[in-house]
Amino acid sequence: MIEVKHISKTYGKKDSLVTALNDVSFNIPEGSTVAIIGKSGSGKSTLMHIMSGLDHPNSGQVVIAGEVLHDLKGKAMDAFRANEMSFIFQSFFVEANQTCFQNVSLPLEISELKQRKAKVTEALAAVGLSDKINAKASELSGGQKQRLAVARAIVNKPQLIFADEPTGNLDSVTGDKIIDLLFKLNKTNKNTLIIVTHDDELAAKCQIRITLKDGKIIDFKQRKKVSK
Amino acid sequence: MRIIDITRRSARNLKQAKARTLLTALAIGVGAFALTLTLAASNGAQSFVNRVISDNFDPTEIIVAKDESILGRGDTNKPKEYDESFGSAVVNSGASVQIKQLTDKDIQKIRQYPEVSQVREGVTLTLEYITRPGAKKYVANAIDFSPAQNPEVVAGAIVKPLSDKTVLLPEAYVSSLGFKNPQEAVGKSITLAVRKSIDIASILQNGIPSNTNDIQELAKSSSALEQFKIAAVLKKPTTSQPGTELYLFISNKDAKALNDIAKIGTNQYRKYTYAYARVKNGENKANIATVQARLKKDGYTSQSVEETQKFLTQIIDVLKAIVAAFGFIAVIASVFGVVNTMYISVLQRTREIGLMKALGTRRKDISRLFRFEAAWIGFLGGAIGSLAAFLLGTVLNPWITKRLDLGTQKLLIFDLKQISILIVLLVLVAIFAGLLPARKAAKLDPIEALRTE
Repeated sequence: MIEVKHISKTYGKKDSLVTALNDVSFNIPEGSTVAIIGKSGSGKSTLMHIMSGLDHPNSGQVVIAGEVLHDLKGKAMDAFRANEMSFIFQSFFVEANQTCFQNVSLPLEISELKQRKAKVTEALAAVGLSDKINAKASELSGGQKQRLAVARAIVNKPQLIFADEPTGNLDSVTGDKIIDLLFKLNKTNKNTLIIVTHDDELAAKCQIRITLKDGKIIDFKQRKKVSK
Repeated sequence: MRIIDITRRSARNLKQAKARTLLTALAIGVGAFALTLTLAASNGAQSFVNRVISDNFDPTEIIVAKDESILGRGDTNKPKEYDESFGSAVVNSGASVQIKQLTDKDIQKIRQYPEVSQVREGVTLTLEYITRPGAKKYVANAIDFSPAQNPEVVAGAIVKPLSDKTVLLPEAYVSSLGFKNPQEAVGKSITLAVRKSIDIASILQNGIPSNTNDIQELAKSSSALEQFKIAAVLKKPTTSQPGTELYLFISNKDAKALNDIAKIGTNQYRKYTYAYARVKNGENKANIATVQARLKKDGYTSQSVEETQKFLTQIIDVLKAIVAAFGFIAVIASVFGVVNTMYISVLQRTREIGLMKALGTRRKDISRLFRFEAAWIGFLGGAIGSLAAFLLGTVLNPWITKRLDLGTQKLLIFDLKQISILIVLLVLVAIFAGLLPARKAAKLDPIEALRTE
């Protein structure tokens, strides 16, 4: 269970004060798929940053599996992020000059996990890039790059995956494939998937839909089952 | 992150910017090159000094003098009070100076020291000329041969101590004296002429002559001619004391006898600028120190071989310091290159740093990543520079040796241990240069770094 309790976040000083989030609260059951939607400037990215511990709220709490996230200090926070979370970004952020293996093994290096070869092979197989293990990331197409990023996100079996506009840089066919992949992995790995997007069609596929506007939740929809 | 993973990643980062890495490393390489050559040259010079010492001095012997200025000590600007031991000597600059000299009494006194086994007067003799039948006359100097000396022999053999009435002849005289080759000269006789001082005995007997011609005749004096057998011909020395290249070596006894002939009746008779005191169990430095303390108490000045060596090394150290200073300046200049390169590297990899931080990489690991990258640059620079110096030195060594006429002595001596230490130091310098960029990387805000606009 992920609990977001009364999160508020403001930027700037007195005169130029911007309220990014204003008393945001909601709960997400473990293993669910969540879409945070809203226009740019609605506060969805800030919410993701706070939920992942990259940013600190002015007030409120994020509780993940009973742990108050922002109470974790330095090393504990890094360890939590290294072991329990991962990210997928709009522009992939794969290292073009490194091989697929090297890209995917990064989270394992960070969390000092063993049996890297087996884990990386398994992750690449899960996204259908087994044959590219020793290829440089620069040789991949856009869709393949994002699949590589997905492999990197699942390799250390985190309980929480954040995807920030994962289809934003892809054509619709490729984008749909990535989404299907993410949902499929969500089912097999039982991780929670939080997608930040402005794409209503994509949001509709998620079990929970949180719509933000001007830093406030204006809509929270939850379905029992994912419609196919 | 584990150190090995960080090391590997930083090496990989460098590979991605080969030209930049190489150019930055080359800047350090210039410093490494200069420092490696400096070290090699000073090793060579040190080894040369050591050879000069071991070829010319007996480590158990102490050089003794009565005048402090002769060993570079004492105040030469102060007028000295006269006593009978003063005699004139020619110093290096060519000036004739009055210095206190050792007399037979002094030599006897030092011989009485319980720690001293032997005292040998230092005799440098200006011969009038040397010649042999059918050859021209040549000017020459003779010096008493110390058993500690190990000159290189071209022909014949050196018996230690040198037999009386034998001479060690420098190779340069061989053809001048009309020998076909050094082998032919060995065993042959040559004439050493010593100019006698004014004949005191004749003056005492006959009184001072009254006419000018006779006085002139008396003042012209005559030469004593001594026959010496050539025991060995010496190769042109590379490790002799400078200025002594053409010296003939004769035994101490002969040197003293000829010296007496040359100086009897003058104020130089039986006066010696130096003497060499051999210390019993002189291998033990404590015994040398005991004798030196005793000599000092008795008003003599002395210098051990170790001190001589130190004095010679001092000059080398100064030269070494100068070249090393240039090397250090090059290294310091290259530090800015490393700082610059590392800042560029941080800037180029902002996203990667952001990603790594988002994925939970510790700040100290990010910082390490860049410090290691700097360390690699330092290592590369050090390795390239010292390898280049080594290769150049190895190629040039025979040529330098030939040009400087060093015989078997190499001018550049490379010491792997020194080079390794140098590289390690350069790695540390590079890490130091990478500190600020690494700090910048560690402090990067991942949200800012990952923003995609």
